Amino acid sequence: MENREFLIDVGACTGCNLCAISCKDEHVENSFAPWSAPQPETGQFWVDVKALERGKLPRLSVSYMPTFCQHCADAPCIPACPDDAIKTRDDGLVWIDPKACTGCGECGPACPYDVIFFNEDANIAQKCTGCAHRVDEGLLPRCVEACPHEAILFGDEGALQDERSEILKPEKKAAPRALWRDLPKPWIAGGVVDAARDEVIPGAAVTVRRLESDETYDAFTDSFGDFYVRNLETDGPYRVEISANGYENEMRVVEANKDCDLGTITLKRI
Amino acid sequence: MAEKQAEKIVYVSHPASGLARSNFPLETHISGDRIVRSLPFHIPEDTRLYEIKTTNRGTYTRPRKEVQMPLAIAHKQRVHSENRVRYPMVREDWSPKNPNASMRGISGYKRIGWDEATDIIAGELKRIHETYGSMEPVFVQADGHGHSGYMQSLHFWGHYLFDMIQKHLDWGWWTQQVRNPDSWEGYYWGAKHVWGFNGSLGEPYQDAVWDDVLENAEVVIFSGCDPEATGLGMSGGIALEMPKWLKKAGIKIISISPDLNYASAVHADKWIPIKPNTDAALYLAVAHTWIAEGTYDKAYVASHTIGFETFRAHVMGEDDGIEKTPAWGEKMTGIPSATIKALAREWATRKTTLSVYFGGPKVRGTLSHLASRMEAYVLAMQGIGSPGRQFLRIGAPSFYKKDLAQVPRYPEVDFKGLALNPMIEYAIGHAPVSPSFVPRTLAAEAILNDRIEWKSTTSALAKTEDQFKTYQFPPSPDHPGIRMVWNENGSQPGSWGNGWKWLNALRSRQIECVVGVHPWLENDLGFSDIILPAQTTYEHSDLVIVQRSDILGMFYQDQAIDPVGESLSDFEIHRQIGLKLGLDEAFPPAEDWLKKAYEGTIAFSKHGINWDEFKERKYVIYDSPTWDEWVDIKKEQGFSERGGGMSQFWEKGEGLETPSGKIEFVSSLISEHDPDNEERPPVAKWVLHEESPDRPKALDYPLIVMSNHARYRFHVQGDDIPWIQELQKVQGSDGYPYEACWINPTDAAARNIENGDVLKVYNERGTVLVGAFVTERIIAGAISVDHGAKMDIVALKNEQVDRGGSINLISPTPQEKYGDGEIKIPEMNVTGFLVQVEKIDPADINPGTLGDIATSAEGDD
Repeated sequence: MENREFLIDVGACTGCNLCAISCKDEHVENSFAPWSAPQPETGQFWVDVKALERGKLPRLSVSYMPTFCQHCADAPCIPACPDDAIKTRDDGLVWIDPKACTGCGECGPACPYDVIFFNEDANIAQKCTGCAHRVDEGLLPRCVEACPHEAILFGDEGALQDERSEILKPEKKAAPRALWRDLPKPWIAGGVVDAARDEVIPGAAVTVRRLESDETYDAFTDSFGDFYVRNLETDGPYRVEISANGYENEMRVVEANKDCDLGTITLKRI
Repeated sequence: MAEKQAEKIVYVSHPASGLARSNFPLETHISGDRIVRSLPFHIPEDTRLYEIKTTNRGTYTRPRKEVQMPLAIAHKQRVHSENRVRYPMVREDWSPKNPNASMRGISGYKRIGWDEATDIIAGELKRIHETYGSMEPVFVQADGHGHSGYMQSLHFWGHYLFDMIQKHLDWGWWTQQVRNPDSWEGYYWGAKHVWGFNGSLGEPYQDAVWDDVLENAEVVIFSGCDPEATGLGMSGGIALEMPKWLKKAGIKIISISPDLNYASAVHADKWIPIKPNTDAALYLAVAHTWIAEGTYDKAYVASHTIGFETFRAHVMGEDDGIEKTPAWGEKMTGIPSATIKALAREWATRKTTLSVYFGGPKVRGTLSHLASRMEAYVLAMQGIGSPGRQFLRIGAPSFYKKDLAQVPRYPEVDFKGLALNPMIEYAIGHAPVSPSFVPRTLAAEAILNDRIEWKSTTSALAKTEDQFKTYQFPPSPDHPGIRMVWNENGSQPGSWGNGWKWLNALRSRQIECVVGVHPWLENDLGFSDIILPAQTTYEHSDLVIVQRSDILGMFYQDQAIDPVGESLSDFEIHRQIGLKLGLDEAFPPAEDWLKKAYEGTIAFSKHGINWDEFKERKYVIYDSPTWDEWVDIKKEQGFSERGGGMSQFWEKGEGLETPSGKIEFVSSLISEHDPDNEERPPVAKWVLHEESPDRPKALDYPLIVMSNHARYRFHVQGDDIPWIQELQKVQGSDGYPYEACWINPTDAAARNIENGDVLKVYNERGTVLVGAFVTERIIAGAISVDHGAKMDIVALKNEQVDRGGSINLISPTPQEKYGDGEIKIPEMNVTGFLVQVEKIDPADINPGTLGDIATSAEGDD
């Protein structure tokens, strides 16, 4: 049987939470033996839509990351379980056998993605099963079926992979079968103005160079004088140089291990 | 699995948008008497979808999958919820002779049978008639959203019942609560005076508007526009799809709003944070830039508008000595003047369309008319209707048309395809049906004052001229006033102004009886004397009329589960009362209504699907025209191939519903009927008011509330659903789910507030409690609290407060501005008002004292 794989497109997700609610609709009070026991009424998010507020007012946006079990090929939760209750199906979906689980709680901390929940009433660990019961009937997982934006896709391993896709936390070497698109990467942003004339400066050239490397990024200010240098690949420090015709160049050095807003930058006329 | 074999599929209407129409239904799986799950509906492959074709920007359509809002999926949790009303109940210390009015909201209930309940109600109506000589002392509130079935769950039956009582029993008229244009408020009171559009509450008709926007627009301004908030509920999935069309077409989105709202957070290219309720000042400063730089469409202004010179003089300060420069605009709006100028230049040089969802909070504050009037002015200055320059209403593309839908659709389907319930006229009407009426915005005032006088019926579809007519309540000096309240809504304290005042009105001694009809004991329903248990949509069969969508159709909804307790449908409840009064003829069984309604459509008359066949196949979904057919349809209505929206007005320069037929900077109607009105003068001017942050009151209440429709609730509906609470509430240190209050880090730091703290929000009208969400997503000086949280009255030390965070409890009423005088504009003020915010210790909350309110019926089942 082919292994299956998810793809989560952060750029397409609007944070509507239909995936999260549909997951609860499917799993609360419903059991799908052998794959899952009912999810508790509240408190568990087998799909958790994490909201990431980015930047500072007014250069602000929100990225949403619908996060669930990454169905790893080398899932660290599996060897962490002393009872062999966590298993991989023939199609690659990873599941916790509710009958075999003794509720020891060892799997949760072993998971690099923090997606395993503990059901105190049933004394079992629980998580996304990839809607194994639906997949067996040729149906899509509920979160995929629910999404209005094709932000969560499901298919055969490799079929969803392209040059834009990557995995979360590759350093954990868990070989997740969940690909991501448009993962949030740090940006450097700012607004450029001529304070003396009380005008924004559109079309100013912004060059960002990572110190002690050749890594450079270029951008221009837009009609509001704002610039964004997006998708920085590595942590700073970076040198930011802003130049516009008729103005003195402005230079800043910034760390950019997360989104960095330089605020309002005033250029001086020559 | 055994369960699997027993599952049946039922198409269930949207649970919360109401008003007799729905978007596509849920595909709900039922096992025995259990709701297993609800899936999206997929429009069948043999239904033809539309395509909007552009010259260079590709083709636009919609997916076949139709998703529902989270509330709709989670609604199954509400069917058997703790506060479900399961039986008819009467308040234990109420009797016709001794109503104990002051105990409403406090004392408990006892269960009674249906026969006894309808006897009591029939007896009360007879008593009112015999004592007062008519039904006018009965104030009927029957216009709420409710569930979205065609008739069974409709909230308008109270009006129908009393209409039949006056018609068949000759007991006289009742007092009709008239629903104001609420979500669209400011456009109705303001923009209608500029450009008309009576049929769409003051927002321009949307005929074929997307054809032009997608072909030509370069910039779309989201003016408080947030289709992600309530969008799925009101319009279905298309509300989420349309912003993606804009992105695909390469159109830049600029969002102007006090908050980085949900749609803007993911779609906007530029966010311009603005202080709440100051949009009019921004528009004045933008107009100033255009006048100063000569960059407005002078030829259009000359040929398509009247009165521009008077407006120009106001912008330049020639009438009041204040030049509305961008620097002035910065002081009023909080937007840097350089940004205002940049916006003005972008707007002037690139084809710019302005977009709203309902209108946004900017048109629901004090002087709601001001922003929308100024907005119409600036749109006129850039030639609205010219290619790429439109007023675009995202979502709900069945509303707001004149002759054609917003997207390609056969007019025959629009006008004859659906069974539209005529009961809608009682709520979204052209005029009140009863000559005795009260606007919904003045409900509390009509009870608490000896007499009130106001202008306008406030009927949603009334002509603009109606806004100059004076009305009063009681209609005559010897009138007994309101003595009985008939409440089918349950939304007054959570969706209209100054809810505390309404609760006091319900406790007024003159109110002898309050009848509540509702599935849940919540909000002001807990102030009823008699409560009749209504059903959810799962518990009866009905039609589902898919009109709140781009694709239209009808579904037959089977009964999915057994009724909860002894509940009946809203229709059946009123029918039972009608039968007790001998109104048998007026209340035939539901099935007769449904069959007749269905047979009035082309599904039957043209496509030949008879009622029994329809019930068997469950749905009819209409094809969309091909692009070529659509172009021909448009030609018949005078549109060119790419034309749409206001393009015909741009071509002709006449034909609007204003007296001049043109866009009126100086309103002909205000000049004629109300020329001395300083608040809404013939030309719109910047007017300060009591909720402005530069007034003395702001020393005590320095923050301004922005309140919008919630993302996951539907107005007051669904706030207590556990899954919805998990998404939208802030859990306090005491474990209580508090309504979220967005507060800027600057304002939070000044008050020692951190994320998750429990706060009191208060002003001279009272106090509500909320949970802090400290975020850059709201401009400093403002807080954002959505309306519609479920009331939970408790004591904070010795003060009565609402722990539920229903912010409308402390919003203004229109009467405040006018004192005892005539209420010139009875607008709904539910955002843009002053408050102070303070951190509290949840240990000071005492749910055991005043908090007994509305909880004591729980033991009754």
